[in-house]
Order: sequence, then C-alpha cells, then structure tokens
Amino acid sequence: MTYGRLAWRNLARRPVRTALTAAGVALAVAVAVSLGGFNLGYRQAIAGSIERLGFQVMVMAKGCPYEAATMMLKGGTGLLYLPQSAHEQIRSDPDIEAITPIFIGIAEKQGLALDGPSVASAFTIFSGVEPDSFRSMKPWLTLKGGPGYDGGRWFAPESTNELVMGYEAAEYEQRKVGDTFYASIVPAGSVTPTLHTFTVVGVLERTGSQDDGTVFLPLEAAQRLFGRNGELTIIGIKLREFTGIRMREFEGRWMSIPEVQVVSLEQVKGALVSLVGTAQTMVAAVAVIAVLVAVIGVLNSILMSVHERTGEIGVLKAVGADRAQIFRLIWLETLLVSLAGAVPGSLLAAVAARLTDAVLRTLLNIGVTQPLVRITPALLGAAILGAVVLGLIGGLWPAGRASALRPVEAIRSGE
Amino acid sequence: MNGDILISGRELRRHYRRGSETVRALDGVDIDIRAGESVCIVGPSGSGKTTLINLLSALDAPTSGELTIGGRRVDGLTEHELVAVRRGFLGYVFQQFHLIPTLTVAENVALPLLFLGRRADTADIGCVLDAVGLADRARHLPKELSGGQMQRVAIGRALVTRPRVLMADEPTGNLDRHTGEAVFEIFERAVREDEVALVLTTHNLALAERCDRTLSLVDGRIAR
Repeated sequence: MTYGRLAWRNLARRPVRTALTAAGVALAVAVAVSLGGFNLGYRQAIAGSIERLGFQVMVMAKGCPYEAATMMLKGGTGLLYLPQSAHEQIRSDPDIEAITPIFIGIAEKQGLALDGPSVASAFTIFSGVEPDSFRSMKPWLTLKGGPGYDGGRWFAPESTNELVMGYEAAEYEQRKVGDTFYASIVPAGSVTPTLHTFTVVGVLERTGSQDDGTVFLPLEAAQRLFGRNGELTIIGIKLREFTGIRMREFEGRWMSIPEVQVVSLEQVKGALVSLVGTAQTMVAAVAVIAVLVAVIGVLNSILMSVHERTGEIGVLKAVGADRAQIFRLIWLETLLVSLAGAVPGSLLAAVAARLTDAVLRTLLNIGVTQPLVRITPALLGAAILGAVVLGLIGGLWPAGRASALRPVEAIRSGE
Repeated sequence: MNGDILISGRELRRHYRRGSETVRALDGVDIDIRAGESVCIVGPSGSGKTTLINLLSALDAPTSGELTIGGRRVDGLTEHELVAVRRGFLGYVFQQFHLIPTLTVAENVALPLLFLGRRADTADIGCVLDAVGLADRARHLPKELSGGQMQRVAIGRALVTRPRVLMADEPTGNLDRHTGEAVFEIFERAVREDEVALVLTTHNLALAERCDRTLSLVDGRIAR
C-alpha cells in the first residue's frame, strides 16, 4: 500500500467526475500549449520568412508600415510605386553590399485556357526582377530538374514573354518547362484587361517562402505590361554592416528622396508582430480563463470528494494518519487528476498542431509560410508543470480542510 | 491483572456546548487500564461510554482532568500531538467497521502501517488475516464480506501495528449473537496471547461477564 495507490483508488471511486475534471484540465492545457506554440512559432516564422527575403532593408513608396510588411511577405494589394530613378541614386551608396529592384503586379491568370473556354480564373503575383541581382540576393534559389523540368533557365533580362514560376505556382497550374502560361493584365490607366502569352523557361525548387507562389518575369517586361515604365514597387538592399547605427545613417541619407521610405527588417518584424498582437492577447485571455476554470474544476472536484469522505478521513486519522499525511494524500489526488489532464492535453495540442496552424492562418491571415505553431518538448514540459502547479494550488484548500478535521467529529459526521 | 498501567485517568471530564446548554458527557471519571486485562464499559445509551473510550484512545481531549497514556500526559495536547500518542500504541475498532471501501481486505489491514511509515510485509499481513480467520479473503473488497467478516478486518487493522491497547466501541453491536461471540474470541485471544489490554463498550452483558472488569457508566460517572 502506498499513498499513490490510495489516492488513485479514491479518484477511481467517482470515475465520471474524475474524467470530467481531467478533461477540463486537458482542454485548458491544450489551449495553453497551442497558444504557447503559436507565440513561439509565429516569431520564428516571421524571422524565417523575412530571412528568406534575402535583404535586410527595403526602399519603397511612403505608406503604412503594415502595408509594407504585407507587401514584402505576401505580394500585397493596393500597391504603391516609386520612381526607378531612386534605384539609380541609392545603388551608389557605399554601405550597400547588394541591391535589387523589384516590380510587383497582380495579374489574372487564365487557368483553363489551354483546354477550352475559360470558366475559372484567379489572381497571381507577378514579380518583375533583374535575374542577376535578384539571384545574388537569394543564392538559395535553384531551378528544378527532372522530367519536364530539365533545361530550365532564368530568362534573359531583355526577354518579353519568358517567365520562371515558383514551385507552388507551377504545381498549382501544372506547368513545366516549355509550357505556355496565359495571364490577363490590366495596364495602369486602363480598365480593359489584355491577355498575354508567356513561355515557362524555368521552375524553381521549393524554398518555403513567398517565392514559391510567385511568377517571375523580367523587370522591364513587367513594367511595360503593367503600364508602369520607370516605376518600381520595392528596392531590396543588403548592407555591408547591418547595425542600428548604420541603418539610421542609411535611412537619413535616403529619406530625402520624395515619396520614399526606408524600412528595415526589424521594423517589419515589429509591424508583423504587432499585427497579431491583439489577437494573441485575446487568445491568451481565453487560455487564462480556460486554465482558471480548470483549476476551479479541480478544486471543486477534490472539495466534493473530501466532503463525501469526511468520515473516512476521520477513520484514517483514528488509525494513525496525522495532518501532514492527510494533506499529502489529498494533494496527491489533486496532482494525479492534474497530470491525468495535463499529459493528454499536451499530447492533444502537439498532435493537433497542424490543424491549429490551419485555423490560425484562416483567422489571422498572416503572411508567412513557415509553421505558425511550433510545439517543443520544453513547451510541453512547461505546460504540464504549469498545470500541475496550478492544480496543486487549487488543491491547497481541500487538502488543508481535510487535514484539519478532528477524528471524532469527522467520523460522527460521516455516520 | 498485575500488569503495568498503560492508561490512567483522573477526574476526567468532557463537557460539550449544545446551544446555550452544557452537556456533561463525562463528569469526573477515574480509571486505570493495565496490560493484559480486559475492561468492559457498560451503560445505557448516552451514559458517556463512547466519550470515555474516545478519550482513552486519544481521539478526543478531556475538558479537564488528568489523562496519561503510555506514560505521557495527554490532557491539553494538540491534535497533532495526540496522533503521535495513539500511533502504534492504540488500536481502535468501531461499531460501524469503517473500512475503506476501495481497498481490499489486505490493504485495509495494512493501512495503519502506511501512516507509521512501515513497509507492509505480505507475510505479516497474512499472519494477521490468519489470526482473524480471513486468510482466504485477502483480495476481497469490503462490499463482498458479511458484517462479521468486516468486523474481523477492522480488528485485523487494529492489531497489525501490535498495539499495547485495543479499544473497541460496541464491536458486536451490528452483529448477531453467534458472530459477536466469534469476534469476541479474537479479542480474548489477543489479550491472552499478546498481553494486549482490551477496553470495550457493549450492551451485551454476557460478553461483559467474560471480561476481567466491568465498569458501569451512568450519566457520565462510574456507578460501580
């Protein structure tokens, strides 16, 4: 006979009540773990996505930093443009290690034009780039090989109808090297779309970034097709030394260009984190409430159990149990019921992380491609420990109450 | 009858407040319990039998008077200190058995050892169960036993720590005459073979006559 076995038998006496209490703890822990995983994963996802942009600073038309953040990571809508002359001016800056101009436009792809009349269409991000400077900024970009993809290459800067598709864009459209790609583009200042035909000259390997869903074409061709010659969306810049001081110096030099803003990655990270800050606070509040409800559930369950067993506790005292031993026994019951909820709750959160990820993406519309929910062993351990500690705090009152019972009175009230 | 005095009470009083009324459950009792003797306390309901046995068992503290258990003055001790006094020195048998329903017979018997911090040796538990005639019921739950068997488990639980004094509050009150006598024989054997002092309360005068001494309580006082 051990205290553990005795405590377990007591809990097993009311299996439904014990199971419901543990389920409450499990639910609260699952919510808390999911939230913790989200907080952890979101920051890593933001950092990872920004890292995959390849540059530390971007120059863009003045506007809301949230738009800037969204544009960088998702392509964005309601695009603002800056004059290409800014690129010519800035590229001479001595602190710049690499620089690449980027033009982003939204085109309507004609998905079923190959097989028959178009019955469905959708928008896709067209990114006009200088292949050499763009690739030097993102050295991890490689062209996909294998049947249908061999012979892939980047387009020539001066080509007008060649494009390279990101991994997911090509998969979704089922395009391979040599295939034709149709897109309708509405040039600036016009309301009539113009259908353009392109040849896919290369498909990129998966990068896990926003580039996977992008269609790349030469910068000049993109500017011309969208009717925005001499305009850019962003200028990506990698500084030789990226520090706060260097950044401020760089920003000071180029903020004088009219209608241009210099945005660092750190600013973008801050903007993106603050974008979901309110949502995170609300989810955290829900988790806190869930945990509090679970603790109250544990307290109530154990308190009822102590009340029902008042006479029995008196008998335990009569046969030799002291206050500390009764306290230990009741506390052990609290520990067991907390563990019985915390462990499955943590595992549930870990197993359901992918589902949670999908739900959060739907709810929050976050522009990152990396997993949003990252559940680590340390997080699971912390959640289980937290649940147990809170459960034990909840068990203090019933355990104290049970241990304070006087044997004669307890036995009499139980008869 | 000439054994050491294990429990000694002088002018023991236990008064309760019931609303504005003071209930004198015990009102000046002198008593000595010696090793190896059996003492029966008889009296009508409400005469103070259970109150007295609770005091002698250190389950309750007297309002006034001197009470010595195992050579230690216990009047005025806290509940925590009373636990230390009764542990291992006293065994208690209730009229209602008061077994833990979720524990088996063997586990119920072994329970006091848990609180004493002693390992429950299977052989020792088997020995106790053998003594109370329940060796073949070790794995049974209380609900699977008869009243007499449950009381024997309770006696086993009281004896497992090898106490110097065995307290029994109307141990045969819920049993038929035949079963009651069988249970009483276990008590007698413990007194005879292990020099345990037995203090019991009962309404059964036939059993009282088999004890070494009988004390009659009336209105909280010893009548003879």
